[in-house]
Amino acid sequence: MKHLIYSIILVVIGALVGIYLPWYAMGLAFGLIAFVLNMPLKSSFLTGFLAGFVLWVVSALWLDLQHPSPLPGRMAQVFPLKGNVFALFVLTGVLGGLFSGIWTWAGARLRQK
Amino acid sequence: MKIIKSAFPLVIALFLTYAMNQSWGTIPPIGKIFSPFHGFWMNAESPDSGEPTEETLQIQGLHQPVQVVYDEMGVPHVFAQDDHDLYLAQGYLTAKDRLWQMEFQTHFAGGRISEIVGEKGIASDQFQRRMGSVYGAEKSFEGMQQDPAAKMALEAYSAGVNAYIGSLSDRQLPLEYKLLNYRPEPWTPIKSALFLKNMSFVLASGTDDLKMTNILRKYGREVAEDLFPNYPFQESPIIPVGSPVDFKPVPIPAAPADFTGLGSSMSTPEKDPNIGSNNWAVSGNKTVSGLPILANDPHLTLSLPSIWYQMQLVAPGVNVYGSTMPGTPNVIIGFNKNVAWGVTNVGSDVLDWYQVKFKDASKQEYWHDGKWKKTSMRIETFKIKGKKDMVDTIFFTHHGPVVYLSHEKPFRSNIPVGHALRWIAHEKSQELTTFYQLNRAKNYEDYKKALTFYSAPAQNFVFASNEGDIALWVNGKFPLKSKLQGKYLLDGTDAAADWQGFIPQAHNPHVLNPVRGFVSSANQFSTDPSYPYYMGWQYAPSERGRRINERLAVMEKITMDSLRGLQNDNFNIRARELLPLLFAQVKSPTAAQSKALAALKSWNLVNSPESVGATIFENWVSTLQNCVWDDEFSADEKVPMSRPSMDRTIQMIKSEPTARWWDDTKTPAKESMSDIIMKSLQANVDTLVKQHGPQGPEWAWYKHKQTGVRHLIPGMDALSRLNIPIGGGGTIVNASTTKTGPSWRLVVELSKEGKPKAYGVYPGGQSGNPGSSHYDDLIDTWAKGELKPLLYLESPDQKSNRLRKKITLSK
Repeated sequence: MKHLIYSIILVVIGALVGIYLPWYAMGLAFGLIAFVLNMPLKSSFLTGFLAGFVLWVVSALWLDLQHPSPLPGRMAQVFPLKGNVFALFVLTGVLGGLFSGIWTWAGARLRQK
Repeated sequence: MKIIKSAFPLVIALFLTYAMNQSWGTIPPIGKIFSPFHGFWMNAESPDSGEPTEETLQIQGLHQPVQVVYDEMGVPHVFAQDDHDLYLAQGYLTAKDRLWQMEFQTHFAGGRISEIVGEKGIASDQFQRRMGSVYGAEKSFEGMQQDPAAKMALEAYSAGVNAYIGSLSDRQLPLEYKLLNYRPEPWTPIKSALFLKNMSFVLASGTDDLKMTNILRKYGREVAEDLFPNYPFQESPIIPVGSPVDFKPVPIPAAPADFTGLGSSMSTPEKDPNIGSNNWAVSGNKTVSGLPILANDPHLTLSLPSIWYQMQLVAPGVNVYGSTMPGTPNVIIGFNKNVAWGVTNVGSDVLDWYQVKFKDASKQEYWHDGKWKKTSMRIETFKIKGKKDMVDTIFFTHHGPVVYLSHEKPFRSNIPVGHALRWIAHEKSQELTTFYQLNRAKNYEDYKKALTFYSAPAQNFVFASNEGDIALWVNGKFPLKSKLQGKYLLDGTDAAADWQGFIPQAHNPHVLNPVRGFVSSANQFSTDPSYPYYMGWQYAPSERGRRINERLAVMEKITMDSLRGLQNDNFNIRARELLPLLFAQVKSPTAAQSKALAALKSWNLVNSPESVGATIFENWVSTLQNCVWDDEFSADEKVPMSRPSMDRTIQMIKSEPTARWWDDTKTPAKESMSDIIMKSLQANVDTLVKQHGPQGPEWAWYKHKQTGVRHLIPGMDALSRLNIPIGGGGTIVNASTTKTGPSWRLVVELSKEGKPKAYGVYPGGQSGNPGSSHYDDLIDTWAKGELKPLLYLESPDQKSNRLRKKITLSK
């Protein structure tokens, strides 16, 4: 349960940071939060990954629903996904998750003396 | 130790951040571009809901508010209260839809691609600059500034583009900036000049001088002149034969002494024989409405975003609609209340090479007219992404830049080394004034005056007015040459070989209201040989021009739709002439060859998309050319040579069946004409079977031809439209080839009441954004041979169910 609350905090902060700051600010913010909240090291990567995955996938989905366009189909060819839009969403989530997970883990680890 | 341990994940995180924020080769910054808050997801645009919307945008520098209404194709109709605001809005709105393209094309023209793509762009960049692209743009910019109206338009346009660039945050950048990971720089008026000069590169940089000199050296003048004649065997020139000459020619300069030169090594891009265009205007006598109708379809490399962008520009004194070129103010091809105009390229020879004799290795002096003269130098600096700057020195003689020194390897295998380039694109010029005035022209006199400012690339300007006039001027600045001067490489030490001035503009070939009731051009010879000046020896093949002229001659009660039909005419006039000649030479064909011949015999001679006959015929023409000429005029890299034209080959089949050229010199046997034709049939059928399997529907013309509209980034297939089902071909009126084709089709019918009707389409869409439905939404219409009605508005408040978005640009 606690992990879920952590993830929700990260998602909210991540969205705010994403809207106003450069893309990588999300990682720094997650690291900082993990450090300040002294997140448990063991689950830190997963907590961060979950937050990043959900945030990026949901945001991408939201944008796609707001602005239905041929773009995802085209991007799924620019990146070699054979035009599979589902795979494009998954890749977006995995990249967001990986980036967030590592930073959350780094923040949590730094707190452990 | 502990600290190192606890900081270790941080190091990984930092490294990951760095890695995901960086381009790796062609891989974009993976974190930045996938972030839904910054990357490509932000570039999605909703399709048109059909509901009209209104918004207001603040733009610095406007004098008064500007009203803009977009129609359902995404065409902005701009209503400004003065010229300044009109061009500022044009710049702003064009950038809004096409910024990346505008910048990329001018970076290419200015030899700056390596700033975006790194080292791999350097050879192309150096080539552009050595050809004098930046030098030419600077000269042309000087010329543009001499006309206050053109200067104002250019500066306002530039301010408009910059207003748009200034409004963009990183996350709003066009997709391509995100893919290639860079930011737009401020626009400057000279970029418009670079863009226009690049049109000379596209349309008037072809030269076979080196290849012709190589032929001269190997076979002598007699053979060179026989196989590469100065007027084709079959032709229907643009200016009708027998048109009166209304000027007294100036004296032609004396020919320089014969010069054979060093030849060999290498030379400029071969002219792409498929880049050409059609235009015509028919007089009111031949139309149902009794008023002239004008049609134009310029053929260019088909690209996404499209080279054209439609706009209607309205301000006091001007209400013009047509296609603009992103990067330059004004409408380039279009119409207003009273007149319509269009262009096709003129294939005259405006680029020559002079063999340079330097005094010594320092290249400070060169020999000309019996004395040593000083060269000048131009230093070009190349900023290369991820590398140190490169500095390059270009040496100039009075002719122009020495593009490659004798020891250098040219970018293209057919550029002569050790030669100075004399090229019309280096002249001071005022093309913008021409378009500014054409946009406002009311009649033939206005059009005629506007053309006097135009230099390059020379165009066949077709014209029609609601006063009933139709006209065509073969227009541009043409060097005054002795006959055949510049067909071969020239002697840079001989003053008599220099360009001796220009043909007076009023003497350019032209025709007004000819008896035949129409004017037309399709890049063929401008005039028959009776024209008093020499303009060039080689123009586009005559087939398109002959087909258009034979159709227009018999067409009566012409409507806009019948001219749309002619633009899409797929009839193969070459097949009509050549096939009977080829059939007569066939002897003992194999089963597969018989089947192919049967398909050809039952073929209706139309290059329709599904036609198998068209594939067999077109492929036969190319294998025939290879079989006849490859032995003697091979494409040897070291000694490149031109190949005689298909027109010359047909002439040889008809009247020289025993010419020495029929024999394949690579075999010990002596082949006859018939042997070579059979050999070409065999090669034809064999390659088709190899490519597509046994003869059948897979041999359909469009599948073989594979017309595609490709994104400007090479290899970016995901953003391209490939394998478009369209017929036509290079020598067909519907000139759609693999990579080139009608880049804009326009048909306009003028009206006495100032309410012209027009239809048009181009293979692309108004938006340059691959995330917009307007990115490629006109391609299918184009491929089907249909046109869209063009909305010509009188005021921004005019009602139309085709209007969508309304934007007010305010200061």
